[in-house]
Amino acid sequence: MRWFFLIFTILVVAAVFGLRLRGDKFSQPPIEIFNDMDRQYKLKTQKPSEFFADGMGSRRPIEGTVPMGFHLPASKTEGIKSTPLDFSVGDSYMDTGLVGDNYGKGFPEGINVDEAFLARGEERYQIFCTACHGDSGNGKGIVSKYWGVPPTKPSREQSNSDEGYQQKLAAYLAEVESYSGIPPTANLVDPRVAAFPEGQIYHTIKNGKGLMGAYGAMIPVQDRWAITAYVRALQSATKTN
Amino acid sequence: MGNIFPTWTNWIAVKVLICLGALGTAVVALAWYSWTPKYTRVGYMPQQPIPFDHSLHAGQLGMDCRYCHSFVENSSHSNLPTAELCWNCHGPGKVKSDSPKLELLRQAMDVNDENYTGEPIKWVQIHETPDYAYFNHSAHVNRGVSCVECHGRVDQMPVVYHAKSLSMGFCLDCHRAPEKHLRPLDQITNLAWEADDVDREKFYEELSAVKGVSAQKLKEADSNKDWTQELLGKHLKEGWAVNPPQQCASCHR
Ligand code: HEC
Ligand code: HEC
Ligand code: HEC
Ligand code: HEC
Ligand code: HEC
Ligand code: HEC
Repeated sequence: MRWFFLIFTILVVAAVFGLRLRGDKFSQPPIEIFNDMDRQYKLKTQKPSEFFADGMGSRRPIEGTVPMGFHLPASKTEGIKSTPLDFSVGDSYMDTGLVGDNYGKGFPEGINVDEAFLARGEERYQIFCTACHGDSGNGKGIVSKYWGVPPTKPSREQSNSDEGYQQKLAAYLAEVESYSGIPPTANLVDPRVAAFPEGQIYHTIKNGKGLMGAYGAMIPVQDRWAITAYVRALQSATKTN
Repeated sequence: MGNIFPTWTNWIAVKVLICLGALGTAVVALAWYSWTPKYTRVGYMPQQPIPFDHSLHAGQLGMDCRYCHSFVENSSHSNLPTAELCWNCHGPGKVKSDSPKLELLRQAMDVNDENYTGEPIKWVQIHETPDYAYFNHSAHVNRGVSCVECHGRVDQMPVVYHAKSLSMGFCLDCHRAPEKHLRPLDQITNLAWEADDVDREKFYEELSAVKGVSAQKLKEADSNKDWTQELLGKHLKEGWAVNPPQQCASCHR
């Protein structure tokens, strides 16, 4: 009898604590009993679906239709106002950053660059651009360490002798060479980019450029302009320093 | 006629009762311990098709959660990033583009890859509310509830696991006392944030703009209180008129 109780106690303790402790890591999906209400047979965001032959729950837009958050291109949409969550606004400068075939200058009508707009731009810049271009836009974000930091071209004024300048220049050129064809992350406060019209910065965000991928699918139209405004602010802050 | 039952049988009823009692207790204890989301879900750590590391990308590289989960502020669903977004950094000639760990990414994105399929990456979902309960990310992250309250320190996880139970009791604990969890809106994705990190001068300035009381008055009213999460949360709760629902129909709609 004593043995019975002993074994019984051990079994109970083993059953309670032996299977797995609370919080232990495991990789099998959690057990769900009678889960027909928990997991209903319906279409869910970013989930596959057996209902469609190709198994894709997220459907591609049917030809001739426009998904929510997008607007019909061309003249039909003239005069529409963009809301903060729109990913396209017709065919206007606001949407493309282009005037004809050239990058447009200045901010489009309907974009009001004030303090709140700049603050929004700063926040969005820090989410989407800092990783590569750095907080101050100098192209030395953390990822550039793994990718390539833009060398800064030495200027004659910074060196006290012509010889020193030549040495620095040679080092600079060697550094550029060592990127083996990969252009480094662009320096956004460089005079080259500072000379870009607003439309070109906007266009770069929307469509990418060279090695930089497109961010148009993640950043709505108004936020793209807000980031553009903030990049402008960074550039003018660097210029006055 | 002798005794049919030997003397040891005198105690059998008691012994059976004790055993049944012990068995009952054991079953109750087992159920108490393991029939709860605290046991069935917490710690769920499935293997992902690509060994994506949050502690590297969000922790070490300091990428904001919204870089990838970009619509968490606008939508009930917090989206997983597209393969295209990974490709922006891991594309040809970029970061670790030849890594064997990224094989599936190349199959999804690289048209020149011999194994190109164009198939999306099939991430395994970890957190999954039952379909009879309604949950909305944007309702929370725009009201000062940080990711860390419901997902734990994701920025320190090499592999994401289910850190909180996300049971109904868990939801209600916070809905009844949100002041223990609220924080300023610009710190939502800063999982390491603590109430002590707040610049109090600035906090009172902003609070006075919301409440319409001068910053000086607010500060004086708090002068002999400790600066704690509760105090800060109480201010935010009153300032923003936060009132999380507790009626059944708000979550079971
Ligand atoms: C994944 C890293 C990465 C991110 C994130 C990134 N960029 Fe870039 N960006 C680059 C690289 C690399 C280049 C250089 C491209 C080239 O010259 O091929 C570049 C170039 C640019 C240029 C100059 C384009 C030109 O014509 O020379 C601008 C402007 C720019 N980026 C703006 C932005 C803005 C604004 C954001 C935030 C929305 C951003 N970038 C996010 C990597 C990135
Ligand atoms: C902003 C740039 C950036 C983005 C976006 C990005 N990564 Fe990375 N990733 C990195 C960096 C930097 C490393 C570290 C490389 C190293 O350690 O040398 C890395 C490392 C990795 C590794 C480890 C590779 C190895 O061989 O050690 C994997 C796997 C990975 N990333 C997957 C992903 C996936 C999946 C995505 C998309 C959800 C993604 N990454 C998005 C920058 C990025
Ligand atoms: C570089 C892109 C990237 C960044 C930055 C990022 N995530 Fe993720 N996240 C992913 C990917 C890809 C997955 C799916 C794979 C996985 O679970 O590891 C994921 C999965 C998750 C999940 C689990 C989702 C589920 O299936 O239930 C949570 C929770 C999460 N992330 C939270 C965060 C938080 C919080 C942050 C900010 C600290 C963050 N993520 C930053 C790409 C990212
Ligand atoms: C109030 C609690 C709460 C907060 C705060 C929260 N989440 Fe979630 N999260 C959940 C729940 C519950 C789910 C499961 C939702 C479902 O089944 O669709 C989830 C699911 C996810 C998923 C998987 C995709 C999905 O929506 O199903 C990701 C990714 C994620 N969360 C990221 C984040 C990030 C990033 C943040 C911070 C910006 C965040 N979450 C804040 C509770 C929360
Ligand atoms: C850490 C605190 C916290 C947790 C945990 C939490 N909530 Fe909330 N919840 C809030 C706050 C704050 C609000 C916003 C109240 C307001 O806007 O006045 C809210 C609002 C809501 C709303 C109303 C949103 C709307 O659209 O009207 C629902 C529904 C909800 N929560 C469901 C949930 C569910 C389901 C869970 C558990 C998975 C959960 N919450 C967990 C704090 C929390
Ligand atoms: C804050 C949101 C919220 C409110 C309010 C709420 N519930 Fe729930 N309820 C949930 C969530 C989330 C779950 C799923 C829990 C899980 O999966 O562990 C749930 C699960 C349940 C379940 C199923 C439990 C199970 O384990 O199968 C029942 C029954 C239920 N709720 C009844 C109610 C009733 C009755 C009320 C009103 C008194 C109520 N709920 C109010 C969020 C809520």
